[in-house]
Amino acid sequence: MEVNAARDGATLIARTDGRVDGTNATEFQDALKNVISPDDKAVILDFEDLSYISSAGLRVILLTAKDMRTANVKFAVCSLSQSVRDVFTISGFDQIIDIHDDQQTALSAVGG
Amino acid sequence: MATSAREASSDAYKILVVDDEPDLEPLILQRMRRNIRAGRYEFVFAHNGIEALDVLRSDGDIDMVVSDINMPQMDGLTLLEQIPKVDPNIRSVIVSAYGDMRNIRTAMNRGAFDFVTKPLDFEDLQITIERTLTHMAEWKEALQSRDKLVALQNELDVASKIQQGILPASFPVGDGFEVYGNMDPARNVGGDFFDVIVLENDRLALAVADVSDKGVPAALFMMSSRTLLKGAAIGRGAPGDVLSEVNDLLTEDNEAFMFVTVLYAVFDPHSGDLTYANGGHNNPLLVHADGTSEELPHTGGIALGVMPGLEYKESSITLAKGDALILYTDGVSEAMNSEGEEFGMDRLRDIFVQHPLTSARETNEAILQAVHDFAGDTAQSDDVTCLVLQRLGG
Repeated sequence: MEVNAARDGATLIARTDGRVDGTNATEFQDALKNVISPDDKAVILDFEDLSYISSAGLRVILLTAKDMRTANVKFAVCSLSQSVRDVFTISGFDQIIDIHDDQQTALSAVGG
Repeated sequence: MATSAREASSDAYKILVVDDEPDLEPLILQRMRRNIRAGRYEFVFAHNGIEALDVLRSDGDIDMVVSDINMPQMDGLTLLEQIPKVDPNIRSVIVSAYGDMRNIRTAMNRGAFDFVTKPLDFEDLQITIERTLTHMAEWKEALQSRDKLVALQNELDVASKIQQGILPASFPVGDGFEVYGNMDPARNVGGDFFDVIVLENDRLALAVADVSDKGVPAALFMMSSRTLLKGAAIGRGAPGDVLSEVNDLLTEDNEAFMFVTVLYAVFDPHSGDLTYANGGHNNPLLVHADGTSEELPHTGGIALGVMPGLEYKESSITLAKGDALILYTDGVSEAMNSEGEEFGMDRLRDIFVQHPLTSARETNEAILQAVHDFAGDTAQSDDVTCLVLQRLGG
């Protein structure tokens, strides 16, 4: 699991690969905290290369979404594989988190 | 008296040099002046073993000792035996006459880390000091990670005991139904629980839940989830209202943003009617006596604990005689084999094609066994939990 950051204007695009589960969720959380800068106006998590996410990983996404909301930073996730999307749908978090099919639509949604 | 070099900084390695030779002190300060000035070394001097022990006892910051062997009052070999009693993490280097293998061997046997010989070669002394300091840094790091591991293991043991403690020890027995549940805990990560509660008019409440995260905080969250669920189950009728109430209570004061997915169902054994509400959990599986099965639709509820004021929709079915309802956690559907494949719903449904339903207990065991066989040697990353309700007859 690695988090790679790129920027499009004031929008941070963070990509994660591999699996996020109970064994590395804290690592994932710390890595996200490290790449998000106070100057970012929007944060997009691109999950194109994410193969699996567990409930511990979902919690990190929820926490990040909450932090971003508090900081008035727009937040979205995009490019979910079918199985990762299923995890969001089953948990009902697709109703709380802004999910997009690809990076482009996510970018236009957060106004980047 | 012990004296100390002046130009040292606080994060320098503090080295105690013990020698009765008065010329050694200025010599060391002169030869090691670069490292002293750079703030890497700080030297403290003592002139025999007694003085050295006084220094070690009064100054807790000494990292290593360089000691001569032949000294008045207390010699270096006796000092070596005493040092671990003051601080077992201090490493010692002994200074001996060239070729004095007998004393060197005694010193090593008494725990000296290394030795240098007289006349002192300062370059060699510095290399030896560096090697000793490197060893000590590694040693300290190893000690710290061992402490962390022990703390982590203790925490996981406590969490595991809490988890095991809240699972039902026995299952209600009644006319027309059988119920049986089991959990196969993951070694390090866990958060599943299930419950079976007897309600008024012989009805049964069934719950399977999965708490996000691990460790003691997750176990405590699990415990309050289970208690709140039980309270709401007894106090309220409709599954949707039960989840709504538990969600509101869990959301209060949930700074850590933990959540729990819950499938909650109420079963009437007389009519076979079953009403369920799904709070972000896997869909239940309805299995018929002929081995066919269907996944029951999600009621669209969000996992409990993250957002207050949510309403939970319900759905109802009727279990025919001979039908079984399978409640499970993602530890079943997402169990992984060595090829990285997931167990999945198809394999779960396939179990009942192969093995017709017999009893709730045997069905439960067949499911856990199939997951176990599928995963093989792959480490189990999540709890595997399954609760089976079977309507008898037919």
